[in-house]
Amino acid sequence: MTSQPEIPQVPDETLVRRAQRGDMVAFEELVGRHRDKIYARAFSMMRNEEDAIDLSQEAWVKGWQRLKQFQGESSFVTWMTRIVINLCLDQLRKHKRQRAESIQQMEEDLGGVERQMPVLTINPTEGLERKELRARIDRALGQLSHEHRTVLILHEFEDLEYKEIAKRMQCSIGTVMSRLFYARRKMANLMASYKREELS
Amino acid sequence: MNEDQLLKLQAWVDGELPEGEARVVAALVETNPEARAVVTELRMTHAFMGGNEPEAALPESGEFYWSKIQRAIERETATAATATPNTISWAAVLRRFLTPVSGLALIAFVSVLSLNLFQRPGAEDPLQHLVEVENLSEHVGSISYKSQAENMFVVYLYNKDQDVENDEEFEPLDEPVLQ
Repeated sequence: MTSQPEIPQVPDETLVRRAQRGDMVAFEELVGRHRDKIYARAFSMMRNEEDAIDLSQEAWVKGWQRLKQFQGESSFVTWMTRIVINLCLDQLRKHKRQRAESIQQMEEDLGGVERQMPVLTINPTEGLERKELRARIDRALGQLSHEHRTVLILHEFEDLEYKEIAKRMQCSIGTVMSRLFYARRKMANLMASYKREELS
Repeated sequence: MNEDQLLKLQAWVDGELPEGEARVVAALVETNPEARAVVTELRMTHAFMGGNEPEAALPESGEFYWSKIQRAIERETATAATATPNTISWAAVLRRFLTPVSGLALIAFVSVLSLNLFQRPGAEDPLQHLVEVENLSEHVGSISYKSQAENMFVVYLYNKDQDVENDEEFEPLDEPVLQ
């Protein structure tokens, strides 16, 4: 007689199939495995613990409700990440509607300051430990506008193409290209400024 | 370099340019030191970010986090159960029925009014009275089209309640390119 494997050894795909049949224990295990990643994605976009907790939990609830629609074309965690990204984008759009667009914000989108930044020739991250590099990337992301941060996250971390980013951010491909270009310029220059801080 | 060229350089680095354009940009990078410098910086940024996504651990216990998700799921399930067809409220039924009916009524109103006006003897421009049609429905949106030449007035109705934000097939309207 073969016994059922312990839940921690069961692959995601099996847990998903069980959860699709209504098995809440299997779903709880999936939440336990991926909660940090889903929370981290929400936090990277919102830069606020409270919003990140609320939105990541909402994503899990939506995930449960739509579980039958999950066909396994991507991994379960990628599918969940897309859900939390959509929720974060919705929330950011609501915030944007509530606040008046400042001149500073518009200039940032248009690359007002980033146009003047010098092109870097030396890698400002050379020799950094991975942990330190991640900490600096996190710090720099926190200094970007949410449009620049979002486009970088979707392109560099989620590997989405321009077209897909445009669809999710509800803007044109040209806007995505422009935002991505200036977000990268700003990111590179922020990393260089941290390097200078370190050396001074 | 102008912005268009800079964005093309980026698209080339990201592999988003069609083959023909990619060849042109590759030639530019070969010969133009400024273009080469921009490409180097773009590649450098891509390289240090890739695989180095900041990590963030959930700032509350896993049990507490799950308990809130579980409660929300149970709440949603209970709400969904009360909204089964057997117990659906009269207001919901009426709303579901009245939404298309109000749309049809609007079409009928416009059609009848148009016919009456066409039949009026001596009326040179009957459609001039139809420049404004008010749609009072919260759920049905309308777009009107009037052609004097064709003596035609068309009202296109659509469902406002359609959820597009999470629709995978949803294609958003373009907004002006920020440059």
